[in-house]
Amino acid sequence: MSYLEEEKWIRLDNASKLFPSTFSPADTKVFRSVCELNEPVDPAILQKALDITLETFPLYRTVLRRGMFWYYLEYSGIKPVVTEEFQAVCAPIYLGHKRNLLFRVSYYRHRINLEVFHVLSDGTGAFLFLRALVCNYLAVRQDSGSPGIPAPFKKVSVSERMDDSFERHYTGDRLHEKRDVTRPRSGVRAYRCGGTRLPENRIALIDGAMSVKAVLEQAHSYNTTLTVFISALLVYSIGREMPVRRRGRPIVLSVPINLRQYFDSATVRNFFSTMNVPYDSRGGVPDLAAVIGILSEGFKDELTESRLAGKLDRFMRLSQNPLVRIMPLPLKNLFLKIGARHADRRISAVISNIGRVEMPREFEDSIRQFSACVGGRYIKLTLGTYRDRLVVSFTSPFRETNVQRRFFRLLSDMGIDIEISSNL
Amino acid sequence: MKYCNNCRVHVRGTKETCVLCDNPLSCGEGGDGREDPFPEIPPEYERHLAMRIMILVSVSAVVISFTVRMLIPTPVNWPLFVLFGLLCTWASLIVIIRKRHNIPKTIIWQVSIVSISSVLWDSQTGWHGWSVDYVIPTAFAAAILVMYVAGKITRLKINDYIFYALISGFFGIAPALFILFNVAQVRYPSLICVASSIIFLSALFLFHGSNIKKELKKRMHI
Repeated sequence: MSYLEEEKWIRLDNASKLFPSTFSPADTKVFRSVCELNEPVDPAILQKALDITLETFPLYRTVLRRGMFWYYLEYSGIKPVVTEEFQAVCAPIYLGHKRNLLFRVSYYRHRINLEVFHVLSDGTGAFLFLRALVCNYLAVRQDSGSPGIPAPFKKVSVSERMDDSFERHYTGDRLHEKRDVTRPRSGVRAYRCGGTRLPENRIALIDGAMSVKAVLEQAHSYNTTLTVFISALLVYSIGREMPVRRRGRPIVLSVPINLRQYFDSATVRNFFSTMNVPYDSRGGVPDLAAVIGILSEGFKDELTESRLAGKLDRFMRLSQNPLVRIMPLPLKNLFLKIGARHADRRISAVISNIGRVEMPREFEDSIRQFSACVGGRYIKLTLGTYRDRLVVSFTSPFRETNVQRRFFRLLSDMGIDIEISSNL
Repeated sequence: MKYCNNCRVHVRGTKETCVLCDNPLSCGEGGDGREDPFPEIPPEYERHLAMRIMILVSVSAVVISFTVRMLIPTPVNWPLFVLFGLLCTWASLIVIIRKRHNIPKTIIWQVSIVSISSVLWDSQTGWHGWSVDYVIPTAFAAAILVMYVAGKITRLKINDYIFYALISGFFGIAPALFILFNVAQVRYPSLICVASSIIFLSALFLFHGSNIKKELKKRMHI
């Protein structure tokens, strides 16, 4: 019996506290992690693999409940059922009144989808679960190896995986590690692409798969990294599509940062921070090299350990405030909603790189690619790399695909072979 | 796989046009990637049609009754009763629909709505005291009973309804105030309600004290 089963409930970590208050039908706070195999998915085996995987991820057996002052996660005996994909991408999971699990696993042809309500995990955490699930699937499928905990995760204990790392790394004395005042603040309202919304709050997903080597070659020719290069392409595409009369607004990218790289943690729960990288669009977007220059400065400034520590402490401080803590939940929800709306206005688009996904050698050839996508109200771009295959996933609530077209044409003009798949 | 000559990208699936530029696609070489990568998700159907019809009926009823009273004046303002009656019905209906997944919670909400609306009705119709004499004690006592029976029938775990049982127990003691402040003309419903609530609460604490403590710790954590 695990810790959670005995105690029956756990507090939310600091990032999770935001999501139940701020989710809406248009912004479901659900994200999808995808693994595409080289063979059609067998639902019976997937179900078996899921049952095995859940044994080592007790967090995924919880439901979200409302307390007087905070939401909390409560252990439940609900058994998840694997289904063929029948709902829209990133369809709502938590509905507020119903006690259901906070994730769903579905499949379609060669693809395994894991959709997670953000309260449970961040992208890195969900990928730990997905990788374990795929390992177990392939182990059962090939009838080889020992199903259970796949090799790459053996060293980590269940309690380490359940760790609230925000709480553990909070000191409260690094609050003033702020950015230099000389840099332009990103506090102003950002430019936001508009368009015709898809019906029923659906989102348009466009995946572009390409060779990571080819893209890296291009990035290196500009002396920059993959993330900055792709971010620059995105800013350039948005800038080019931007009406000239709205150039007063900056284009601001919000970039989630996986804090596990900076602070010791192996949790599957949320442990991330975000940074805003602004691009002043008053002069338009002259050329890609200029955009890359500005963005790589922005990335470098934010990504220092002391800056992140300050961020973590400031983020934690508010929820440690006694007045905030004794505020009844409905009031908290109200304030968080208002706060989130204001924070949202400062963002034009989100870009997140889940990085290179490693799998055990014996399973490598059975897997084609990994990707991820996020639901929500504006353009979001997610990068996933597996071996030499980079998948760039665009999601947007709009029918128009101008930014996406510009983005992918920039890449294909560089001679990169792209394979598009879309739910439109 | 198909190919878009304008965007110079390969496109998976059976679509005839490019998702990026809407131009027709040409057939590329290679047999793979001809299957649609995503399933067709049919639109969700209008699920709230019954609800809309009911709202329209309610609105019409109110409008018609006020119109009729203007045409045929009566000393009693009866359309107001129609309005209040419908408001009460809707309040309790909405609560039932929204909280339907949590039966104990629904019971607590229903009892509250019934109590408040009965007091309102009583006061608006010349305060005969029937709300505090009969309705509230009966509703509170019934809540305890219904809570227990519903919990047993739907096989709820004790932790799922102990918190609400606690609330209904405390509700049941409230009519003691009616007796203390001489609000109630008829005392026996209140007395029975208070007495049975005290017994119920004692039993709850004696047999499930540790559960209550755990449940409160969980729900009230700050």
